[in-house]
Amino acid sequence: MQSVSRRTFLRAGAALSGGIISAGMPLSQVIWAAEGKVLKVRSSGDLVTLDPAFLGQAAEVDLTNCIYSKLTRYKPGTEWGWELEAADKIEQVDPTHIRFRLKKGIKFSGDHGELTAKDVKFSFERVIKLNSPIKPQWGSLNHVELEDDYSGVIVFNAPFAAVWLVPLPYAVGQIVSEAAVTKATKDGGNFGVKPPAFSGPYVLADWKPNQYALLTRNPDWSGPKPGFDEIRILPIPDAKAAERAYQAGDVDFTVVGLDSLAAFKSNPPANTEIAERASTHYTWIGMNTDHPKLKDINVRRAIQWAINVPQVLDTAYDGQSIAATGIIPPGIVGHRAKTLVPPEGDLSKAKELLEKAGVNGLTLSLDCTNDSQTSAIAQTVQAQLSQVGISLVVNARDPGTFWSLGVESEGDSWKDVQLFIMTFSGLPDPYDYVTWFVQDQVGIWNWQRFRSQRFDELNAKGLSINDPNERAKVYQEMQDLMEDSGAFRFLTNETNPILYRTTRMKAAMRPDGTPLYIDFQPA
Amino acid sequence: MWIYLLKRVFLAVAITVIAVTLVFMMIHAVPGDPAVALLGPRATPEMIAHLHREMGLDKPLAVQIVIFFEGLLQGNLGYDVLSQRPVADIIFEQLPYTIELIFVSILWAVAIAVPLGCYSAMRRNSVIDQLVGIMAVATIAIPSFVMAVYALLIFAVTLHWLPAVGAGQGFLDGLVHLILPAFAVGIGWVGYISRLVRASMMEILGENHVRMARSFGISEWRIGLRYALPLAILPTVTILGVGIAWLLSSAVFIEVVFARPGIGALIVQAVNTRNYAVVIGAVLVTTVVTVLATTASDLIAASLDPRTREKL
Repeated sequence: MQSVSRRTFLRAGAALSGGIISAGMPLSQVIWAAEGKVLKVRSSGDLVTLDPAFLGQAAEVDLTNCIYSKLTRYKPGTEWGWELEAADKIEQVDPTHIRFRLKKGIKFSGDHGELTAKDVKFSFERVIKLNSPIKPQWGSLNHVELEDDYSGVIVFNAPFAAVWLVPLPYAVGQIVSEAAVTKATKDGGNFGVKPPAFSGPYVLADWKPNQYALLTRNPDWSGPKPGFDEIRILPIPDAKAAERAYQAGDVDFTVVGLDSLAAFKSNPPANTEIAERASTHYTWIGMNTDHPKLKDINVRRAIQWAINVPQVLDTAYDGQSIAATGIIPPGIVGHRAKTLVPPEGDLSKAKELLEKAGVNGLTLSLDCTNDSQTSAIAQTVQAQLSQVGISLVVNARDPGTFWSLGVESEGDSWKDVQLFIMTFSGLPDPYDYVTWFVQDQVGIWNWQRFRSQRFDELNAKGLSINDPNERAKVYQEMQDLMEDSGAFRFLTNETNPILYRTTRMKAAMRPDGTPLYIDFQPA
Repeated sequence: MWIYLLKRVFLAVAITVIAVTLVFMMIHAVPGDPAVALLGPRATPEMIAHLHREMGLDKPLAVQIVIFFEGLLQGNLGYDVLSQRPVADIIFEQLPYTIELIFVSILWAVAIAVPLGCYSAMRRNSVIDQLVGIMAVATIAIPSFVMAVYALLIFAVTLHWLPAVGAGQGFLDGLVHLILPAFAVGIGWVGYISRLVRASMMEILGENHVRMARSFGISEWRIGLRYALPLAILPTVTILGVGIAWLLSSAVFIEVVFARPGIGALIVQAVNTRNYAVVIGAVLVTTVVTVLATTASDLIAASLDPRTREKL
């Protein structure tokens, strides 16, 4: 064997390093270079579970979409819709019954056999049986009736129009193997981060907590072949770290912060597409209608008129987010064209309303989470309300504390809550946005303690209508009722800014920018 | 020596028990329900009550503490109901990343700072000594996360030489991923240790035994390295033990900035979601690591200095 002198070794090392550096290739990428087509993406959090009955984070759902089949799936594009996945056919028989027929030949990995209607029944019903936190996604699901090995009927207790865009194509609609899950767990319960079998085009080949999840092709998959051989998902919770990771070439697809969007637009990274999609978030300022200082509707309306929403968004979102017209975002049935109170408000009208209420020198509190964006909203609103003589004390709290404030079962803090900034995230059906404001939710998530009999009736009615135009009218009226109560000042639905490298991929996303990895194609 | 060791073990156990009990009480004193934080805004009251039972939060605080220590005696750090995994598994998956970051950071900092400190002491008031002094103050003054961000922008984002996030796969890739975080964590220590070594060296170099060595005609460099440095290094060794605790906390920022796995990022995440089981387990482990590091540094100091050994 020929010996290698130290000098030769150093020379070779220097030449190799120099070559890599002069080629402009990050050292990590040289080491990571893998055979085949590899998709490298960022997710906003690490995995907590991979059990579809317990999925809590969007990042988990993005991954599990690749490893489990569903009856239907979201269509990529800019308009909400669904298409068949594991189902060969699916139809609404009547308002409470949906019949499906499965495609034949979809296999579970690890010799767990073919995907059958029994697995569908097991997967859907266990969400209810196990009292999962995401059980509400299934609405009034009662059970699944089996017709034969490939067919069945999903039975609801009451009409549930949201079924097409919420449970079926989303997390709770993912199908697991009954045989594999009952073998791996005591009672078909939560299997956590170790899926006992896969039914999608990819399998989870490796997962290093807080480092990466690696998906590779499922050798048993008989459906259409996805574009990439491997998907590496890097959990990067911090948005700024994600931006740097994209710029450094560590990931090729990421959501970035709205506060960075203007900078990326003015100076985009090379070979990058910047996509802006309407998100499914909704942010508003709520007012506790039971608080003595806010009992008078004129005071609440004065606050609505005193808040200049575009000004708030300019400060908190660097002008990159548009004013909300309600809680339902653009693109989703029931989105309103405009608010009752103009986004810009009117200070003289606000002063007039305060005079009518006979209030002056009012001091109020505003509770919010302590992140920079929400704090910026709070500070702007504080300045705006001072213009009409309302002095606002801002209480920025950590999320754990904040989310307990208005919940009656957590103590008496709900009585002291006055104004608060709230952000919820919804699924693509209007039901998922309004259902938190019915009277039953007072003291739970309805911190406004907003009560309207009409609103509750409309909430039930909206779920029984299938015609989108008719449904839209119902949800628009519900938002009118919310705003008219004076308890809500809608701020924004936000925008999801996404960066992806056009030299690496053709990205496929839901209308809100959520990635659909199995539809990604190499460039 | 054995009595000293026994004393240290007893002290370590006492510190750990006190630290864990304090953290237990502190996190329960913070307003906010962990079940609400974990389940999010869609949880029903029944689900929240169910999670309370699963997490043992329906029991009085004293009972929870007793149950935790009972489990600990059996080697059980608890169970994370959310991920359905033992807390020990979660922590010991993350701990090696933090340990390697701290170890590499200290290693390179010491490797550079000790020679710099020695040189500065032996050539005091020279141009290099003055330059090292300015650099030392500058690196101590700049927080590690600021250094981290600028290092990232230069070497990862602009030059594309090094990766921006993660911990890499395999040994070589892992090392490459360690360069920037270890640089950011260690740079402040270069300044601090070099100043410390310089001051200690100057003190030792003025002592009688050094003057005697000089009178024998031994070269200045030999005096410095052979006679002065082993004594001058003692304060540094002691400081490094305490520094482990400091580095554990600075690792939190670095792990967030570099999206690296590690115990710091794990604690932040667990505190934000009120994941009590993970917070308590992680605090226990970091307390033990800190106690072990300080004990080890004391023992090393004792082995280097016979005078210290005699006092034990």
